[in-house]
Amino acid sequence: MTERFTIPIGPQHPALKEPAHFAFTVEGETVTSASVRLGYAHRGIEKAAETRTFIQDLYLMERVCGICSHIHASTFARAVEELAGVTVPPRARMIRTLVAELERIHSHLLWLGVAAHDAGFEALFMYSWRDRETIMAVLESLTGNRVNYSVNVLGGVKCDITPQLDTQIREAVDYLQERTEHYLHVVNTDRVFLKRTKGIGVMSTEQAIRWGVVGPLARASGVPRDIRVEAPYDAYADFPIDIVLDDAGDLAARFTVRLRELFETYRLIRALLDNLPEGDLTTRFPRRIKQAGEVIVRSEAPRGELFYFVRTEGGSSPSRVKVRTPTLPNMHSVLELAVGAQLADAPMILAGIDPCFSCNDRTSLIRRGGEQDIWSWEKLRQYGIEVYRA
Amino acid sequence: MTTADKLHDLPLTETDTNRLEMPVEIDDLVSVSQVLSEWGYLAAITGLDHGDRLEVLYHICHGPDVITLRVSLDPQAPTVDSLHPVFPQAGTYERELMEMFGVEVRGTPDRSRLLLPDDWPADEYPLRKEASDD
Amino acid sequence: MEPILTWARVNSIWAVHFNSGSCNGCDIEILSTLTPYYDVERLGIELRGSPRHADVLVVTGAVTRQARDRLLRIHAQMPDPAFVMAVGTCAIGGGVFQGCYNVVGSVSDLLPVDMAVPGCPPRPAAIIAGFAALMERIRKGEPA
Repeated sequence: MTERFTIPIGPQHPALKEPAHFAFTVEGETVTSASVRLGYAHRGIEKAAETRTFIQDLYLMERVCGICSHIHASTFARAVEELAGVTVPPRARMIRTLVAELERIHSHLLWLGVAAHDAGFEALFMYSWRDRETIMAVLESLTGNRVNYSVNVLGGVKCDITPQLDTQIREAVDYLQERTEHYLHVVNTDRVFLKRTKGIGVMSTEQAIRWGVVGPLARASGVPRDIRVEAPYDAYADFPIDIVLDDAGDLAARFTVRLRELFETYRLIRALLDNLPEGDLTTRFPRRIKQAGEVIVRSEAPRGELFYFVRTEGGSSPSRVKVRTPTLPNMHSVLELAVGAQLADAPMILAGIDPCFSCNDRTSLIRRGGEQDIWSWEKLRQYGIEVYRA
Repeated sequence: MTTADKLHDLPLTETDTNRLEMPVEIDDLVSVSQVLSEWGYLAAITGLDHGDRLEVLYHICHGPDVITLRVSLDPQAPTVDSLHPVFPQAGTYERELMEMFGVEVRGTPDRSRLLLPDDWPADEYPLRKEASDD
Repeated sequence: MEPILTWARVNSIWAVHFNSGSCNGCDIEILSTLTPYYDVERLGIELRGSPRHADVLVVTGAVTRQARDRLLRIHAQMPDPAFVMAVGTCAIGGGVFQGCYNVVGSVSDLLPVDMAVPGCPPRPAAIIAGFAALMERIRKGEPA
């Protein structure tokens, strides 16, 4: 009879991203239960937002997450603009969408690299991050910063597309389109890599619907869930995207869906640049909001549906800001999918959802008496690679 | 009765484009959610502190539409039933609701802390209005 | 013996990275410095998994209540001399998260900081400049 062990993993730290703590109970090699503990990077933003003004909150919300910062800030801005009854000029709406799509490219390439690293595919990690620098350079030229670009103001945006930038963006997109084709080919043909992804962590369409997963994770299980299509906002109503679906539901499908939807993003960016209307970037925004109210605003972040609930009693501050990031519903699916999986596959199953916190690369072995050892993410990752190497 | 008929019978009010709301009694929460689970998915649970009462909002989404169920609670002893049997992912949201607002969620599978630190005082709920931010 | 140790240390800085409550912005920029475009490994700087192998602790983010003890423990696990580099405005002074209920303060409230790299987040070039300045201080034997 095999012994039953609980293997806690984390929280210590990331070579990137936030820390989290997982406990996987295993019998032999098979995971029999999984739980998660977050909060190592919990700062208390929702509470802080209540004591600050809308303008201060815009910068605070941008820093909920450094990877998908623009979508947080623009979603919050849309919520406050709706509360104030302000309509953003068309050119500003287009630029918001454009930056959101540029951000999706950087986020998906970042994820491709990190997920490849978790699978032990270092070459893919390095190549995808090298190419990601193309888009970082574009973001820096456009906004002045590589991360936390602060494009939004309440009532519009503060950066404009010049003819020079237009050229730079088009060149970057052309180059990345070629590279993305190459990556799509690699993840679908590399035999070693496919062993880590094909048929692993399979989530059926029915499960995806029942667990309420969002974003590329849902789309890789055949659920057509994309806020850009379901509830178009900003420029998506005029420039619709085609939803990218795959019904395999495994890790390989999650790679394919994310890479294939980049082509939609490239197409959309060119369309936005071709049709950018002339006009103002901002409109007047009142200092105080006159009446109480509450709004729900949803966006499609790179990782899936981002949900904001903002309530104000009037004045210059919100009385409640609720942020539900896409990782939270998707996290639940990891806990479900890990059960019954091999321990060696657990890191890839987690990487597959593109968690907005992950526990890469940190060791701290803490003996907690008897049979518990805390494994670092790095140790688990290495373990996964070793198992497949053998 | 089809889902559409059942939905039709719910006392929903339109508050905004694509937004419907209804107040729900604590005892009816699970049965109403059961009906709505055939229609959409649970996107979020929001707690609200109005001082004299607490409110828990359940946002259920389908396409562009959001239905919000509002449950009013006594701040002294706020208790709701878990939606975990209806929406499996509700457990994670309920962990957040319990620690942030001190709402007791009957029957939720995991009662451990999700976000707050281990040494956080047991009877302090940061998103209640009386909690100061320091 | 000491000059040889210093010479070796300056030319092969091993770092361990800890996120004490960051938004990931600084973390992805640190990762950028390790990847081909910036590639700090050519300067002998390498990111290690274990604090027991590391000379420099690179900390990002305001320190949260839950992460505080982990930060102190990691620092304690490092061999002497252990240098601390605070990357980003939050690690230096709390940034926008000053006063949040779950934030206990900046890195310098808890540990002696040898090098601070400001920015929200700092560009990879600034992080590399921070490393270069730290190397210079180690070489000259300047105290923190």
